[in-house]
Amino acid sequence: MIQFDNVNKVYEGDVKAINNVDLTVPDGEMVILIGPSGCGKTTLLRMVNQLETISSGSILLNGEDVTTLDKIEMRRKIGYVIQSNGLFPNMTIEQNMMIVPQLLGWDRAKKRDRFNYLMDLIGLNPDEFKKRFPHELSGGQQQRIGVARALAADPPVMLMDEPFGALDPIIRARLQEEFLQIQREVKKTILFVSHDIDEAVKMGDKIVLLRDGEVMQYDTPAEILNHPKNEFVNEFVGSDRVLKSMSLYTVKDLYKAFTLKPNFESKDIRTINEDTSLRVAISMILNQEADQLVIEDNEGNNHGSLTMDLLEQFLHKEIKGQEG
Amino acid sequence: MNELIEYFVKNYPFLWGYMLDHLEIVGLATITAILIGVPIGIYLTTNKYLAGTILQLASVFMTIPSIALFGVMIPVLSVINQGVGFLPAFLALVLYSQLPIIRNTYTGIQNVDPQLRDAANGLGMTTLQRLWKVEIPNAMPLIMAGVRTATVLNIGIGAIAAFIGAGGLGVVIYQGIVRANTTMVLAGAISVAVVAILADFILKLIQKKLTPKGAN
Amino acid sequence: MDTFNKRTALVVKILLWTAIAAFFIWGFSQGMFRQIYEQPGLFLELLGEHVLIIFASGFAAVLIAVPLGIFVTRPAFRRTEWFIVTVANLGQTIPSLAVLALAMGVLGIGVEAAILALFVYSLLPILQNTIAGLDSVDENTKDAARGMGLTNLQILWKVELPNAVVSIIAGIRTALVINIGTAALAYLVGAGGLGVWIFTGIRLFDNSYLISGAVPVTLLAIAVDLLFRYLERVLTPKGLILAREANEA
Repeated sequence: MIQFDNVNKVYEGDVKAINNVDLTVPDGEMVILIGPSGCGKTTLLRMVNQLETISSGSILLNGEDVTTLDKIEMRRKIGYVIQSNGLFPNMTIEQNMMIVPQLLGWDRAKKRDRFNYLMDLIGLNPDEFKKRFPHELSGGQQQRIGVARALAADPPVMLMDEPFGALDPIIRARLQEEFLQIQREVKKTILFVSHDIDEAVKMGDKIVLLRDGEVMQYDTPAEILNHPKNEFVNEFVGSDRVLKSMSLYTVKDLYKAFTLKPNFESKDIRTINEDTSLRVAISMILNQEADQLVIEDNEGNNHGSLTMDLLEQFLHKEIKGQEG
Repeated sequence: MNELIEYFVKNYPFLWGYMLDHLEIVGLATITAILIGVPIGIYLTTNKYLAGTILQLASVFMTIPSIALFGVMIPVLSVINQGVGFLPAFLALVLYSQLPIIRNTYTGIQNVDPQLRDAANGLGMTTLQRLWKVEIPNAMPLIMAGVRTATVLNIGIGAIAAFIGAGGLGVVIYQGIVRANTTMVLAGAISVAVVAILADFILKLIQKKLTPKGAN
Repeated sequence: MDTFNKRTALVVKILLWTAIAAFFIWGFSQGMFRQIYEQPGLFLELLGEHVLIIFASGFAAVLIAVPLGIFVTRPAFRRTEWFIVTVANLGQTIPSLAVLALAMGVLGIGVEAAILALFVYSLLPILQNTIAGLDSVDENTKDAARGMGLTNLQILWKVELPNAVVSIIAGIRTALVINIGTAALAYLVGAGGLGVWIFTGIRLFDNSYLISGAVPVTLLAIAVDLLFRYLERVLTPKGLILAREANEA
């Protein structure tokens, strides 16, 4: 758990970079720090592992004030991933990934097992990549290694500073998916800096929206999208926020909310799986110029049909209903 | 210290004369070296095989100690009765200048953004126009840096040329050593150092002037 | 066009080697190398003096310049870096002959003066290259290292120095090659070396002394240059060669 308790950062000449930040990153959750450039998100992240000093207030890591901990020892227990991967060009992939375990004095067998496990986790062949060097790898592979290196000593906490920001959109989306998969398995406590609201919505259990070093809103993605607290949040998440929020719901959420009759009328109507997001459902209806899609669960059971009309009702119920 | 100042005051005209000699030989050699080196550097951009050979050769020449080069040139040039004096010194300085000038011209032109070259072609420039209006101006900072390196180098080597009878400030140092006159040695050494530093400074200013505002 | 270029390069290469071969054939036929085989003892003695001056000064310079370069690039002393770099740049515009003469002013005639001059003169390129090599390490890489809990010493040892090693060796190469030439002038301050024969040759107009002194000095300089270029290649971590290739592509 990471707790920020009334944290401030003041630069020379009274420039406030971080202003009274209070927030908690619960164990096993991924919290996204987001905001316009210069909002202090990276500074806030770097204050946790003491790469930046804290002017006042305190940051507690599992109940202990970070400033009282030994910096070097503490950093070895925190995974750290940066945008430009920061891999050491003079070391092989294996040496890069096993640097912290090596510093911690792990024996060879333990390091080898860990290396193989992590390479499996990020979907790269351990034997093929072991002896290769960072510059022989593609950008996406380098960043996967960067993530795996942070996980090497199995730290409970991870700090990630725009880890996928330098990748092209297709690779970025794939790495996001992969990392979500990994996180489901390893359940780390993660603070994650992003500048991309779509990434934040997709990845975060919760989102912190910062402006000028102040927290504007700290909520789940759905709350931030559906109920922006103020004009700034509203503008930041964009005018398509309702559409974005639809990506947080699945077809299953929709049919559970209504009592629908199975639809057996027509055989050639397209079906839609219950795990599909509503955002995709909307575009399917619009693209195919179909009036309805038959909802199917994973067992192939028919759960009635999905129409634009039904989507609108759901929207009303979930979003506008709560607002009012 | 006082002795040194006294020496400078007393021998001002004598030192000045040697300095002019020094500048003359270095200046002539550098100008000749530019006239030879820049075209070679430009030509090499069209032949990468030859570029490898020539740049290697020039870098080997740079590693040859100047006094040794003089030592080799004297017997060779004495075949045409020019063993000592101006010619071997002049030739040595021209040779030493070739590496920085050729290399910097070559790299400077190679580094011109391919898109600029493309644009120039697209505008219908001939090869010569492109070279003159696009490539050389953009390579100018690097070419001038090469000239600067060559000049500073030559001022130092020029001091050694005194030993083979080419004159210049090296004579003051040489005579000081022969007469075991430390003041004279210092006066000569300081003069050469000051000339080198001043030349470096002035050429840096010229380099700035010759760099087109937009080029980096 | 390409084959034409290749052919031109080949012709130039053949011409060069022919010229070099012609020089040696001419030199030997005129007995210009005779001092070497007529007085082999003296030749080896002079060569020994030459090499001693170079390596004593070079070794001392490495011992001082590399740690100094590491020192001024530490965050706490960053402010001194600008000053040191400026001095190193300026110092290199001072001709080697002047430095040699100044050293004689301090220590008088003898080997010590030559070694002092060469030592001071070697400091500059080694220092400059050490600083440049350490500074060339990507800030993000160092940040990642700090964030992972490497101590400053570990960052220096595992990240910065391996990345700077090539540049440092290049600095040593530059220093040694300059020193070989300057050591040939050491005769002037009474330190011996192969310069003795070169200057004797100049004074007596005797080509055999000139060639017997100048050619070995030249070959020594070229050999040291090649040796250190080879060392640079061998000692460069493989990952860095790949990194450089990736950046150039």
